[in-house]
Amino acid sequence: MSKIVAVHSYKGGTGKTLLAVNLAATFAKDGKKVCLFDLDFRAPSLFAILKVNNAEFWLNDYLNGKCDINKVLIDLSSRLEGNGNFFAALANPTTEAIREMSAKDRKWEMRALGRLLSLRNTLLNDREFDYLVFDTSPGLQYSSINAIVTADFVVVATTGDRSDVDGTRRMLRELYNLFEKKTGLVMNKVLDPTSKSKRDEMDKRVKNVYQVPMLGLVPCFCEVLRAEGNLIFVQDKPNHPFTKILDEMAKKIENNEVN
Amino acid sequence: MNNYQCFVRLNKPSTISTPVQHIKTTRGNTVTREEILSKKPLHVLEKIRENLERLNEKMEVMIELQKHGHKDVQPLNDAPLDVMTLLSMPDHLRKTAMTICRCGRATAAEVAEQTSRARAVESAYLNQLVIMGYLKKERKGRKAYFYADRDSQR
Repeated sequence: MSKIVAVHSYKGGTGKTLLAVNLAATFAKDGKKVCLFDLDFRAPSLFAILKVNNAEFWLNDYLNGKCDINKVLIDLSSRLEGNGNFFAALANPTTEAIREMSAKDRKWEMRALGRLLSLRNTLLNDREFDYLVFDTSPGLQYSSINAIVTADFVVVATTGDRSDVDGTRRMLRELYNLFEKKTGLVMNKVLDPTSKSKRDEMDKRVKNVYQVPMLGLVPCFCEVLRAEGNLIFVQDKPNHPFTKILDEMAKKIENNEVN
Repeated sequence: MNNYQCFVRLNKPSTISTPVQHIKTTRGNTVTREEILSKKPLHVLEKIRENLERLNEKMEVMIELQKHGHKDVQPLNDAPLDVMTLLSMPDHLRKTAMTICRCGRATAAEVAEQTSRARAVESAYLNQLVIMGYLKKERKGRKAYFYADRDSQR
């Protein structure tokens, strides 16, 4: 079963953070114990979306070996309905921290990989988390590849945009395949309303072009844009089609049905 | 004295009659022939077996080096085993290196269990990764553990 899920994409702006936040929230709504990680150290955003201003320790500190991971986790369970547990580990958004993180050398990145890998023990085994969801930086760079190597399953967000298709295909072939990662593709911001036949056609296209299974197809919802990242969508709009799509994705991952 | 000579001498009856003679073992400590023959025969056999296993491992590495050519094996000191390095490795070594990354520390048998390849093959790849400077090797009794030394590399 996939316990560590990374959300990644080739280009920026494909909806990684939206998917990561809502996927984690969906798991939590289902009564799971979940932790959402902001591994986008170049452009941290979860602190803003989750409206946390008072973090004493950041994920940066954990990866720097300055503190225990338990010090980084912020319990946000009270924000969600139901009896699930929702935690977050945030990236430090200050310019100084971003500068510092982008100047790390290979040896540091190697130790960071070790620390990410050890989360399996500390969080999944010892603290009995059901899921860790990693939100990553786009493209091929250390922090994202570290996250991908650590993950059991990678959600790849992509749009139909020309600038994204080729890169995503190459990335799947030359990065994910080499690490033998289980992958599911999410087509985001799909413009056409999706009938069953249209969905099947898309599904086939994804399998042909990307040669990976499709995890989900997300139409372009104006309501999502209108929310301006101010709410956890699946929590605040339980009956919205977006929420239903996320429910299906979570179920597929949980039941290992992506293939 | 190599392992073979050591073995032959122990089995040669003519040398037993020689009075107290010191033998230098491969590890450098000196023992008398009497000690070897009377007190700890099992221990000695154990040592011989250990040495033979080491020889075997070295041969496996040599065979692997020949198989894949020398071009991808340049001995380095403490090369970091980071993700970019993993990406640039030949497929057969990446699989082994990834397993060590995940386990933290493992024997060739444990790696073989995860990769579904033969223990001897994994042993060869692991030793190759040690030569390349990506992994460290530590012996505990008869077992050899492999690990990526993340902490000493500051």
